[in-house]
Amino acid sequence: MILVIDAINRQFHSKLLEDMFRLRARVFADRLGWDVHVERGMEIDEFDALDPVYLIGLDETDTVVSCVRLLQTTGPHMLSDVFSDILQGQAPLRAPTLWESTRFCVDTERLGLTDRGPGSVARATSELMSATLDYARRCGITDIITVIDPVMNRVLKRSDNAPYDYVGNTVQMGKTKAMAALLDCTPERIERVRAFAGIDYDVLVDEPALLQRIAQSAGMPVDPSDALAQYFIDQFDKAQDADELEATLALADAVLGKAKPVQSVPVANSVSAPEV
Amino acid sequence: MSLYDLAAMPDPGKSLLDLLKDTCDRLELEYAAYAGVNPIDNSMHAIVNYPDAWKDHYQRHALHQSDPTLIHSQRSQAPVHWDRLTDDPLYDKMFSRAHDFGIPDTGITIPVRGAFGDKGMLSVTRKMCIGGWHKHLLHILPRLQTEAALIHDAVMQKGAVMRAISAPSLSVREIEILQWSAAGKTQYDIADILSISARTVEVHMRSARHKLGALTTAQAVARAVGMGMIYPM
Repeated sequence: MILVIDAINRQFHSKLLEDMFRLRARVFADRLGWDVHVERGMEIDEFDALDPVYLIGLDETDTVVSCVRLLQTTGPHMLSDVFSDILQGQAPLRAPTLWESTRFCVDTERLGLTDRGPGSVARATSELMSATLDYARRCGITDIITVIDPVMNRVLKRSDNAPYDYVGNTVQMGKTKAMAALLDCTPERIERVRAFAGIDYDVLVDEPALLQRIAQSAGMPVDPSDALAQYFIDQFDKAQDADELEATLALADAVLGKAKPVQSVPVANSVSAPEV
Repeated sequence: MSLYDLAAMPDPGKSLLDLLKDTCDRLELEYAAYAGVNPIDNSMHAIVNYPDAWKDHYQRHALHQSDPTLIHSQRSQAPVHWDRLTDDPLYDKMFSRAHDFGIPDTGITIPVRGAFGDKGMLSVTRKMCIGGWHKHLLHILPRLQTEAALIHDAVMQKGAVMRAISAPSLSVREIEILQWSAAGKTQYDIADILSISARTVEVHMRSARHKLGALTTAQAVARAVGMGMIYPM
C-alpha cells in the first residue's frame, strides 16, 4: 500500500521517512554506485530540504519497500541542478503542470522476484507507479519527467508503462547509466499500469489506521495538536539543508520512537545484484 | 547573455489585480489571494480580491501570522486542500471569522516554487458543497497550476533584479517548436516534421509558454519574435 507524505503529515511519519532514506542509501549508493551522500546509513540530499512530496510503499507489516520523490520543475530540481549532463547543456523543461520524479526505488532484497502477485517486486513497482501518476493527476499535473537507469527503463516498458519519449541523452552515472523519460498522467496510462499488475483495489493506505498502528507500537497517543508534534513541525520548517533535516529526523525518531522495542533490526548490508 | 524585459513586451498591461480577476472568471472561482516572497530583495507581496471589509479585518488583526492556509502551504510543493487543515486549532479560529465576512472555507492553496528560491502561493475559494468543490477542482487544477505560476512570475518580475536574472532560457527544441508554430504549423504537423510524438511537442510547448510568461501559444510566439529568439514568418 502507498502512503503520500507531504508538508501536512510528515511530522507523523519521521520513522518511515528515515527508513525511506535508508532504503535509498542501499539502492543508490550500495547497489547502483551513484555518487550520493550517505550519512548514518541514510541518503539525503539538498532537494529533500525543499518540501518535496514522497510516495512510500509499505508491505503488510508497515515496512518501507519502495519510494519516490516529486518536485516542481519550475523550482530547483535534479535535472536543472544536478543531472544537467543528461540535457547536454540544454535548458531544462520547466512547466507548472510538469513534475520531476526522482529516487524511484524498490527493495529487491525484501520482495519476491519470481511472480507478479502481492509481495513481489513487480507488484510493488506497479503500485508505486500507478499511485504516483494518479496522485500527480489529482494535483493538476499532466506529465512527469523521471530520471531513471536503464534497468528501471526496462521495468517501465515491461509493465505496460513505457515512457512516451525521452529528453537529452543517456549518460554514465556510477556503476550504471541515467536518462530522463516522460510519462503522461492520463487515466488511460494509470489504468494500463493497474490492469497489467492486476491491481483492482485502492492502493492508498488508510492513513488514520496506519497512525493508530504506529501509535500502538510506540505506546504513544496520536494527537495532532500535541505540543511535541508541533515542535517537530517547527523544526522541519526551520531545516535549511540536508544536514539539519537529518538531525531533525534523528531527534524525532529518538523521541517519538523511544517506547518502541528494539525489534527494528537494521538491515544488513548484504547487497545482491538486481534481478529485474 | 542578453537581457529581456518581459514588461516591455507588447502586453495589454494588466494590473496584478486584473490577473487575479481573470483567473477567477476563467476558472469559475469566487476569490483568489496571492502571497509570495522574493528572496533577492526579500520583499513580501500580497494581492487579493477579497471584499474590502475582510481585507481590512485581516490586515488590522495581522491574520497572516495565524492563517493556517499560509502557514502550512509555504512548506509544501503539493497543492494543499484546506479540508486537510481542520485539525489545526487555528483553522476554526480563522474560518469562523472569515465566515462572517462571507469567505467560504471550500478552498485550496497552490504553492509555486521558482528557479531562484522564490516562493509563492495562490489560494482560491468558491462557496460550494464539498463534493462539488472537489469535482470542480479536478476539472480546473491543471489550468489553476498554470495560472498560479503565471501570477507568481508576474509578481516576481516587478523587481528589477529578478527581471534581470530571470531571462527566459529556452532549449534548442523549444525554440525549434516555436519557430514551426510561427510558420503556421499545428502541433501534429510539428510532431511529424520533427519525428516526435504530439505529446512531446506539447510538453516542450508548455515549458516554452511558462518560460515566456505566456498563457497561450500565440502569445509565446509573439514574445519569442519580439525577443529575437525566432524569425517572424
